[in-house]
Amino acid sequence: MLTIAIDAMGGDNAPDEVVRAAAALSLEKSGRNVQLLLVGDAGRINALLHGLRHDAERIAVHHAAHAVAMHESPAEALRQRPDSSIAVAARLCAQGQAQALVSAGNTGASVLACRDSWGRIPGVRRAALAAVYPTEMRRGDKDDPFSLILDVGATLDVSEDDLCTFAVMGAAYAARISKNPRPRVALLSNGSEAGKGPREVVRAHARLRRHPQLNFVGNIEGVDIPRGSADVVICGGFVGNVVLKMLEGVSETVVRLASYAYKERLLWRAGLVMLSGGIRRLKDLTDWEQYGGAPLLGFDHLFIKAHGRSGSRAIQNAVKVAARGAGTGLSEDIAEGLRLLPPAEDAPPAGEASG
Amino acid sequence: MSEPPAGAGPGAPGPRISRVYRWDLDKTYLQTDFDTVRALLRTAFEGAGKKLTVPGAATLLRELRGAPAPDGGVSRVCFISGSPRQMRRVLMEKLRLDGVEFDEFILKPNLRNMLTGRFRAMREQVGYKLPALLAGRSGLMPETREVCFGDDAESDGFIYSLYGDVLAGRVDRALLAQILVGAGVYPEDAQRTLTLADALPRAEAVERIFIHLDRRSPPGRFDRYGARLVPIYNYFQAALVLYEGRLLEAPAVMRVALEMVDKHGYSMDALRNSLQDLLRRGRLGLPAVQALGETVAGGAAHLPALGELPGARELIRSFAQRLRELGPLPEGAGAHRGESDPIDYLKALEEDLPRRKRHG
Repeated sequence: MLTIAIDAMGGDNAPDEVVRAAAALSLEKSGRNVQLLLVGDAGRINALLHGLRHDAERIAVHHAAHAVAMHESPAEALRQRPDSSIAVAARLCAQGQAQALVSAGNTGASVLACRDSWGRIPGVRRAALAAVYPTEMRRGDKDDPFSLILDVGATLDVSEDDLCTFAVMGAAYAARISKNPRPRVALLSNGSEAGKGPREVVRAHARLRRHPQLNFVGNIEGVDIPRGSADVVICGGFVGNVVLKMLEGVSETVVRLASYAYKERLLWRAGLVMLSGGIRRLKDLTDWEQYGGAPLLGFDHLFIKAHGRSGSRAIQNAVKVAARGAGTGLSEDIAEGLRLLPPAEDAPPAGEASG
Repeated sequence: MSEPPAGAGPGAPGPRISRVYRWDLDKTYLQTDFDTVRALLRTAFEGAGKKLTVPGAATLLRELRGAPAPDGGVSRVCFISGSPRQMRRVLMEKLRLDGVEFDEFILKPNLRNMLTGRFRAMREQVGYKLPALLAGRSGLMPETREVCFGDDAESDGFIYSLYGDVLAGRVDRALLAQILVGAGVYPEDAQRTLTLADALPRAEAVERIFIHLDRRSPPGRFDRYGARLVPIYNYFQAALVLYEGRLLEAPAVMRVALEMVDKHGYSMDALRNSLQDLLRRGRLGLPAVQALGETVAGGAAHLPALGELPGARELIRSFAQRLRELGPLPEGAGAHRGESDPIDYLKALEEDLPRRKRHG
């Protein structure tokens, strides 16, 4: 039996959509071995559950007096309110009352709460937040259209060790969740040659190439990300966050342009109507609500960060991802992958500019 | 209509009847699926051995029938079901297989309804169950208390509540007549219902109504029926509420839990969540839970009759520990433990029993 803790107060639509998601999940026959632990304002959670179809045999509520708002400074909010829902939920996981945690709330506060309460997997120095993004190619037994990119913001300043660790963690996660037994792992750089990029990238390249199990395919450039040239893309948190936001921005701009075109001319409108099937497929592909959320990797428990604007469906999918990832031996896979990581080479090669 | 064992029928001489437990069958006692035509046909033709009992129901029934009444009287178990009389043999065989004894067994005369052209009566429940309940009450003393079990698939919550309020005198003749018309009851059934109600002495007879949430309806749907009606997700919850009401003792509650674990694969988490759900909804008080926890924590010496189920002792120890760990009640609990407002049955007819459901 698996228990997933859910931060009921996290996200723009909490607690209503979060509780709605838990209620819907509790009725699903396919997840009968998963229990849900809602953490947050018990009075509000109870009132919501009272009016919803749900299976009370699969839902527990743990009261937390406070919450961290989306706009708050994470460290300050957690210091002032240690009994906020995300902190309490992380502690419950640490105490063994749940095996994974899901939140759509403040990302920084979530990462801090996990860091404060959870232990790291042996060999992991820093955690990484991974995001999924749609690509042209599909992969794995599940024909998964998404690739993984990490880190996207948990660790801004990364070392060679961190990049190698992220590669091992990303590969293990892709193998477990996407059922892709040998995911292609690549470093994000400014050129495909081994010597391209900053020093930590060049050195990480040298080590990852010698890893006996990892399917390391070398460096890729930004243009390769949406093509799906790699299943797992490794970068530092600063770069990853910029890339992720840019991908989101491009997607939103395309939709806005299409909307503008639809209103502007009858001929363009007719063209868009003819393309509507393809546009719908594109929308399905880029629909962040269906992929469930971003895993925080490196800790001895799994945390899935759902989008801040998540509705019930996105939260449900995030919980399903958490249930798939927890209790599958992911931590053990990561620890084993790190054990096999070759040591650093002595001579640091110089980085080259892009060409 | 009914089939009472010798010496225990209405009006028959025998021991004083302290309490009557009235049970619906489909979706209350039996895991019946009649939501599709195929499922309905399968239900109609399957043998007794194929029928599935709702987890914990058989043990709870046996415990209730055997529980000693504080005033020295006896308890009766009466089934009243919307299933057709043609299913009597197979249903009675099922109860025999489950080791459940009963005193009354009422089934719907649907063949007669069909042959006499009373097609609405084939699906309509208020005009069938309410007079059947009132008729079953006629041989009982005013102080005999009743506990009713139904489900959320039909109109059991409405009918049992109305039955209790008619007996208590909170629904007068004129209002009852109005309700029966609103429910689409045939005039002859309505007249019979009114006559039966007139003949009964007024008494606060129905002390508790349990509605098994087979369809997982929102519990809030039943708020209109007040604190007497308790929506439940399983019979462990019913056993807990009955324990608080002193109608069951701790070993009986644990036997219901053990049956659910041993025969139906219930986990400790599911039982713990069920307990917390009752506390959160204010349907159970913490003192009763603590008392139960202390009793079962006392363990072996106090609970000699718990049988030889594998791991029973460990389960009880673990359960007691979970009970003690529950800690303070979550905010908002206790909302349903006070006095309830009078039930507006005419409004309930429109809102809880829209026309298609009155016949379901």
